[in-house]
Amino acid sequence: MERRPEERALDRMILELREQPNPVLDWERIETRLLREPRPERKSAARSFLNRLRLPAAGLVAVAAVATLVMARQQPVPVPARQTAKLSSAPVNGDQLALGTRITAGNQPLVVDHPGRAHWTLEPHATALVTNAGEFLTVKLESGALSAVVVPNPKPETFAVEVEGTRVAVHGTAFRVERVAERVQVEVSEGTVAVEPSGTHSAPAFLLRRDSRGDFALDGHTGSVEGNASAVVADSGSKSHRTVATALPSTHGHGPTPAAPRAKPEVSSEPVAQVQALPVQPSISDIESGVSSALVLMNRCFHDQTRSTGNRVSASTGLTLSVAGDGTIQSVTFAPPLAPAVEDCAVTGLRSLTFAHSVEGVTFTRLLELSR
Amino acid sequence: MVASPQIGRVSFGRSEPPPDHRQVNVVPVKLRAVTDLTDLVERCKAGDSLAFREMFRSHRADVARLVLRMTGRPADLEDLVQDVFLQVYRSIKDFRGQSRFSTWLYRLTVNVVLMHRRAARSRPVLQAAPDDSFGADVRDLPDDQLARARRIAAFYRLLDRMSDKKRAVFVLHELEGLAPSEVAKVVGAPVLTVRTRLFYARRELLELLREEPALEFVARELRAEQLHSESAEALTEREPT
Repeated sequence: MERRPEERALDRMILELREQPNPVLDWERIETRLLREPRPERKSAARSFLNRLRLPAAGLVAVAAVATLVMARQQPVPVPARQTAKLSSAPVNGDQLALGTRITAGNQPLVVDHPGRAHWTLEPHATALVTNAGEFLTVKLESGALSAVVVPNPKPETFAVEVEGTRVAVHGTAFRVERVAERVQVEVSEGTVAVEPSGTHSAPAFLLRRDSRGDFALDGHTGSVEGNASAVVADSGSKSHRTVATALPSTHGHGPTPAAPRAKPEVSSEPVAQVQALPVQPSISDIESGVSSALVLMNRCFHDQTRSTGNRVSASTGLTLSVAGDGTIQSVTFAPPLAPAVEDCAVTGLRSLTFAHSVEGVTFTRLLELSR
Repeated sequence: MVASPQIGRVSFGRSEPPPDHRQVNVVPVKLRAVTDLTDLVERCKAGDSLAFREMFRSHRADVARLVLRMTGRPADLEDLVQDVFLQVYRSIKDFRGQSRFSTWLYRLTVNVVLMHRRAARSRPVLQAAPDDSFGADVRDLPDDQLARARRIAAFYRLLDRMSDKKRAVFVLHELEGLAPSEVAKVVGAPVLTVRTRLFYARRELLELLREEPALEFVARELRAEQLHSESAEALTEREPT
């Protein structure tokens, strides 16, 4: 049967559209915006990781917690031999380790190699958790000691070790971190490391250089450094530098032991900003972590502030957040607007949210579908 | 890591064994590709930003093409492509390999575009002058290319007047070349519903064609061609043998 001219015209148009070349965009700019994450892993990102795993992770964590508790009661040594016996001492390819992998060394040191980037050695009976396995490596040291050699990289903090609330971040260096009871001890044999509380830039940061060492509280706020003249302590909050107590930590054991006074560490005139250059904008991880919190908050407000008589109530809006460089939220916009009660609730809650620090801050919009 | 057979399914075409060695040799190459994609997805799930970049680079053209076909607006393209990949970053953890990765990505792209359109509808819009250039600098185009650019812009205006559901299935099937069963997975509707929407989408477009001068011109040309060929056939039949 002969097709009508209109049908043939339509077919011709479909053909013309199919033959159109793929659109060309400024891919580099999009990619830069998407992948701008110089500090992808901190506590916030770890939280988002746990959120992703949700129930399975909660189950595993619960089982692990119970097992650890039982074992800890049986034996004061942090890592029981039964856990470590199964692990080989052969080098492990770190690039194949998935996020969340927990590694426990046996009686031998365990070497983890990230070819071309870093290799780290978990000392006997030490346990570490991989909390960021991407371009920026982060290892959470749960017990024992870890030594690392990191290949110099122009990007900041390509390798970091976290011990509870303390973050030890490096550029290109060789160093050792040990968790001793409620303290963290850091020794630097090459390069520079910054020690600071995890997930914040406003608290004091300690800068340790070659042949220096430090002893820090698990929260990363307080500590002491010792070593050659290049050991520096800086207070990034006030931007002023101060000298700290020169008590030497015990290298073997059970908390810091006061030592004989030594030469005062040299106070550097180098601002902390040079140690950890802030990103121009928060990373995707930071933003998405904040967005997740905002979503939870918005849903709660929507649920609490709307009335329902058994019917499903839903609303769509575009939420635009302007985040300042210090991580605080400067403005909140809803387009289209939500009910005043919901907006008031949301704005009040959103004010308490903070994002990672950056130079410029960021403004972004997310489309929300709220329902109850 | 175990490769999920659902991701980037390998198609052997026929179920009988391959007739010669050449075909057998092709298989490992395809399997390698499957493993790579599976591995890439797993690495993205693990937060590997290098893998995410690789994912972006290998799928950005497909996403941009689909977004453009769904919206018809080059001006929104860059933002929407970025939104799609942000959504990929946020949601890749939910991809369990129960469908092909490409199907999942199509679904996600369509959803982002639909969300964008819904939000745009609820906002006041400053009416912009119609853009017939369709992203190209029309000043230097030859006449035939200019006419083509205008036809395409006109066609996108027609698509824009259709409902979201009909436009989505039309674009996915007619322009992207997906089978109705695949479209059904993308839009989350039964295959029969997809076929019905396709039928009505096409019928609606045929009616709308008359309202666009650039497209009506195509139909007129074809109508004239048809009349010409019919009269030529009639003349041939009348000629004595």
